Amino acid sequence: MEREQAGPPSFNRRSLLQAMAASLALAAANGRRAEADERALPYVNAPEYVVPGKPKWYATSVRFAGYLQPVLGKSIAGRPVKLEGNDQHPATGGATDLFMQAALLGLYDPDRSQVPLHLGQPATWAAFDTDVFRRTAEIDRTQGQGFRLLTGAVSSPTLLRQIGDMQKRWPGMRWHVTEPINEDERLEATGRVFGRPLQMLPDFSAPAAIVSLDDDFLGPGPRQAMQARAWSKRQPRIFMAEPTPSATGTRAGERLIVPSARVQMLAQAIALGVGVTGVAAADLTAPEKKWVDDAVGALGAGNGLVTLGALYDPALHALVLLINERLGSFGKALRFTDPILAAPPDGKDSLAVLVDDMKAGRVTTLLILEAEPLQATPAALDFRTALEKVAFSVHGGLYADATANACHWHLPLQHELESWTDGRAPDGTAAIVQPLIRPFLNVRSSHVVLDRWLGGTASDHDLVQASWHTGWQEALLAGFVADSAPAAVTPTVRDRTVPLPQVPSSDGLVVEVRPDATQWDGRYVHNSWLQETPKPLIQATWGNVILVSPALARERRMENGDELSLRFGNRELLGAAWIMPGQEPHTLTIGVPDSFGFLDSWRQPGVRLEKTGKTRVIASTQPMQDMGEFDYVRTVESGEEAAAHPKDDVSFYPPRKWDSPSWGMSIDLDRCIGCNACSVACMAENNVPVVGAELVAHGRQMHWLRIDHYTHGEANAPRHHFQPVPCMQCEQAPCEMGCPVNAAVHSPDGLNLQVYNRCIGTRTCSAYCPYKVRRFNWFEYTGQDPDSIRAMRNPDVTVRSRGVMEKCTYCIQRISGARIAAKIAGRPIQDGEVVTACQQACPTQAIVFGDITDPNSAVSKRKASPRNYSLLEEANTRPRTTYLARVRK
Amino acid sequence: MSDIAPSARDFRRVTDEIVDISLHYPDRRAWWMCFIPALLLLLSFIVSVTVLFWYGVGMWGNNIPMGWALAISNYIFFLGIGHAGTLISALLLLLAQHWRNSLNRFAEAMTLFAVICGSLYPLVHLGRPWLFYWMAPYPNTMTVWPQFKSPLTWDFFAVLTYLIVSILFWYIGIVPDLASARDRATRRRYQVFFGLFALGWRGSARHWARWRQSYRLTAAIAVPLVVSVHSEISMLLAAGPINGWNSTVFPPYFVAGAAFSGFAVVSMIAVVLRHALGLRDLVTPRHLDLLAKLTLLCGLMTAYGYWAETFDTLYGSDPQELETMRDRLVGVYAWSYWGAVFCNFVPLQLLWWYRVRINPVLLFLISLSCVLGMWMERYMLLVTTLYRDWLVSSWQRYHPSIWDWSLFAGVLGVFFTLFLLFVRFLPLISAFEIKEAMFEEKERGEGTGHA
Repeated sequence: MEREQAGPPSFNRRSLLQAMAASLALAAANGRRAEADERALPYVNAPEYVVPGKPKWYATSVRFAGYLQPVLGKSIAGRPVKLEGNDQHPATGGATDLFMQAALLGLYDPDRSQVPLHLGQPATWAAFDTDVFRRTAEIDRTQGQGFRLLTGAVSSPTLLRQIGDMQKRWPGMRWHVTEPINEDERLEATGRVFGRPLQMLPDFSAPAAIVSLDDDFLGPGPRQAMQARAWSKRQPRIFMAEPTPSATGTRAGERLIVPSARVQMLAQAIALGVGVTGVAAADLTAPEKKWVDDAVGALGAGNGLVTLGALYDPALHALVLLINERLGSFGKALRFTDPILAAPPDGKDSLAVLVDDMKAGRVTTLLILEAEPLQATPAALDFRTALEKVAFSVHGGLYADATANACHWHLPLQHELESWTDGRAPDGTAAIVQPLIRPFLNVRSSHVVLDRWLGGTASDHDLVQASWHTGWQEALLAGFVADSAPAAVTPTVRDRTVPLPQVPSSDGLVVEVRPDATQWDGRYVHNSWLQETPKPLIQATWGNVILVSPALARERRMENGDELSLRFGNRELLGAAWIMPGQEPHTLTIGVPDSFGFLDSWRQPGVRLEKTGKTRVIASTQPMQDMGEFDYVRTVESGEEAAAHPKDDVSFYPPRKWDSPSWGMSIDLDRCIGCNACSVACMAENNVPVVGAELVAHGRQMHWLRIDHYTHGEANAPRHHFQPVPCMQCEQAPCEMGCPVNAAVHSPDGLNLQVYNRCIGTRTCSAYCPYKVRRFNWFEYTGQDPDSIRAMRNPDVTVRSRGVMEKCTYCIQRISGARIAAKIAGRPIQDGEVVTACQQACPTQAIVFGDITDPNSAVSKRKASPRNYSLLEEANTRPRTTYLARVRK
Repeated sequence: MSDIAPSARDFRRVTDEIVDISLHYPDRRAWWMCFIPALLLLLSFIVSVTVLFWYGVGMWGNNIPMGWALAISNYIFFLGIGHAGTLISALLLLLAQHWRNSLNRFAEAMTLFAVICGSLYPLVHLGRPWLFYWMAPYPNTMTVWPQFKSPLTWDFFAVLTYLIVSILFWYIGIVPDLASARDRATRRRYQVFFGLFALGWRGSARHWARWRQSYRLTAAIAVPLVVSVHSEISMLLAAGPINGWNSTVFPPYFVAGAAFSGFAVVSMIAVVLRHALGLRDLVTPRHLDLLAKLTLLCGLMTAYGYWAETFDTLYGSDPQELETMRDRLVGVYAWSYWGAVFCNFVPLQLLWWYRVRINPVLLFLISLSCVLGMWMERYMLLVTTLYRDWLVSSWQRYHPSIWDWSLFAGVLGVFFTLFLLFVRFLPLISAFEIKEAMFEEKERGEGTGHA
């Protein structure tokens, strides 16, 4: 999608590679410098000597929107090669999301900024230090008047301490925060209702019924792993009201499609239904009334929870708090703590205040750390003009992007996998971030940048350690500081008035802005794994689309790929149309990254829509998503009902006896929220190459594990299904029969193997594969990769070259690892010892893997469920990967 | 039979007329006008293959699910064409149909070149073409052997066998005429060229006896190959569990279709050659009539295949099969289905009339339509089946790239280059067999007093 004035960079593989090559040349020109020795502690007992090829695991965290996401980093020969969830962590219990999985590529990204830039020209850190030294004299003189610090959301105690130090030294200095997608409205609501801002921490494992008013709590975001894991424990019944399909909506038993303007009416009706006083009566349509009655009925059974989308008005959030109080969910399904992210002085107006001051010339020195205000701010703020008035501006970040180019100085910062820092997980549990590798670029950590600014000389390790006087070693080993989550607060309601805003008119077209499922607020534009990950409900990669409803598309004669022009005021947004079944008829949805520079709010009525007459190619991995009459995803009425058709296993051949272990997988379609964590984990684990938008549009994506999205039923209100499809590892595999050169063969432990160096590329296996899970190296995808990408590769997995077929192996390298370990110990492989990358990554534990010949293994128990069925069982391929049917709730 | 083997002709003149084409080509200008475009197409082949080998199969329009597409459909198309030559030469030889003698040489040459063109495709379509020999069973240090359950392995043997037998049959058949050309050649290099390839043929009774033995033996091997090779090629598709391929009607359907397209090509070549080289007295209206009848017959058998396939699908009413049928009949590639049905079977019906059958222009146009139709059928079988197979999620579109087309043009270049060289330098009609037929005719005529 492109904006009229400045289009974001459009990538195809070739331009990406050129950029990579260019930045690499830059790196070579500047040389590399070893940082001071660090004292990172491995998570497991450190071996006395390093065994080559033997991985070391470090417990650490990656950052996302100010929060820490706990990970275990796998490091082989000093190179981090894979991130996994930290199963000991109280918040996530090992769950991950796609951003966490893709953080690894962020470390090795050849696009990363590698050298300080002064006015766009390469410079040295020494030059910067000199410049700052001169500047601090000025700041000292004015007591910090005119000196501003702008950061993203901050949960790091060390950074906060350093900001405090700055403010002590320069009382006039001010700190501002920009975090485009935030929870400010919720905090404001708690402030209003309880008298002080509190963090809401819903526990989705606790309630029996959840009523979600357009709150995509299973969707992308820093809490996704945590909340999805909690929800999956009991999978409570969900009532969802939303204008545009979401991950949570696909799991909802009762999904009501309403314009977002109607959400307030629904909240009022629910409030009345559960007995909140002082609420005006709601005027509902018949379907709305039925939905509300059902929801109120379910909530009335006790143990319910109502949630509201983070972007709604604080007054509406206050009403929902009163509903939850009435339901008695405080302290149970809804807990409160003090805010986890540090609040800047001006609260949610922080950025607006800064921009006002900049425009008024009150800002002389601006230090921007790890924020991209130029790209990620509402258009009305006009940050660019404001920035031009600042005499001395410094930007520190991973990439030399627009903000970097508009500032006087750009400083390349460390990635969290190569730096010391700290912070808090979304549940508030603190953690220390330790490096998995020494920085291999000429970069500094944010802590060091601030310390040098203050005239210090400490290393980032020492700066962080200074914040943690006790338990340093334990925290490093565990990956978090035990029991450091802020204590739960039991608040009392101080203000029961509900001054609800006027319900906005819902005439005409309304644009809804939603976080991008793979780009969040646009910060992952450089991450090619995320760019190539299809957005789960759209299945589009590399760029976003404008979602339109089937009804609107019919009315305006739109088809997928038609270029649309959205006009609001004098601003225009161009993008490709994507007809989204289940979309509210008069709602258009765009992603947050596209909203910057176009809209100033999260929902905008009165937007004009036109077709430009052009069409755009959408790099979709799944152009067709209507399941039609087929039963790929089966649904049963209850968990007891059989999903598989009665079998007649008639064969000329005697049944084959499989030795133990013989591997199989079960995927619970009721649990899958389509988050793509498994898919990105698979790319990282198996060195799956990225091919770029052009080739994805050609149908040449390389994902070994794809998440199919199907809609079923009427297009206006369909059911949405996700179906992860790895290799089925068929017992009677057509690919093996087709291969003329013995490249596709069966292993004694039931795996359908692909022998890369035997493959000559006839593609028969793919032609014969009913599931089309095989991927072909149409070009040399891996040979031209830059050095840093090569360094990232998992050495346990063969890198495939041009002309060979590849596919999911059930992570055979992990099976081999477990087999070797078991053999050395002289015991059989235990159940649960082999965890595939996708299984580990899944936040809802939808994927179970193990030995199917052992009736007591977890996978055998799953497969014994009546819900168990094989995809395309009529093809008689006898797949080892089977599915559990969805249950109609 | 007088219109097939003109008994009034002097035996010597038959040989002169045919061999003279090789030794003193009548219309060199016209030949060069054809040969230069053919060379340009050949250049396209060289460029396309170089680009393909340099960058990879990604230069084509293939994707997943369309792992096989134009390359494989052209492969089937070219091999199919080839079969007509073998049928005309070998089958009719064994059935002692003398009228074949005017057609068999160039029909066989067409077979040979079509098989060469066809077999280029599976080689260049490989992801790693430099390892093509792994298809062959040969002792190697990796101790791996081909996988004999694979239809591709059968294919390898089938096509290789067919190629070898076609070369042998064609070459054995041409040896006596090469000797005639050698004896008539006046220029040294022609003498050497024909002399070498005539293998010292002197026309002794022993030579003829041996020749007859080996020629008929090779013919006996070649005839069943037509059926087995193209049945096998149909297995390439039919053995996979893909709806629209996995059908027992495929082997006979493919053989009939192959012969159909082949007879159409032979008809076209016959019409062109007799016009261009003035061979109207050797390739007579009677020949055209017979070729047209064979084309009609095979066309009707192919139509039966279409009908049987549709009937099976409707009778079986499997939802996946019905979906594939729907994709063929009304999907985005429906043009290839209806194009095939129209081009194959509608103009064909004109061949029920004798006057149409002996009209060279009409026969040429109808045959051209059949060849186009059969090409579309092969394309349809690959594309409409794979672009939408079992899972809706893997449905994709397929657009052949410029390099797909340039290679197709290039392979046509290979065909035309080889064929034009054959027309220019080798006896393109079997002189001695025509003479044999004339002699027998004469003997019979004298015996019955009708001469």
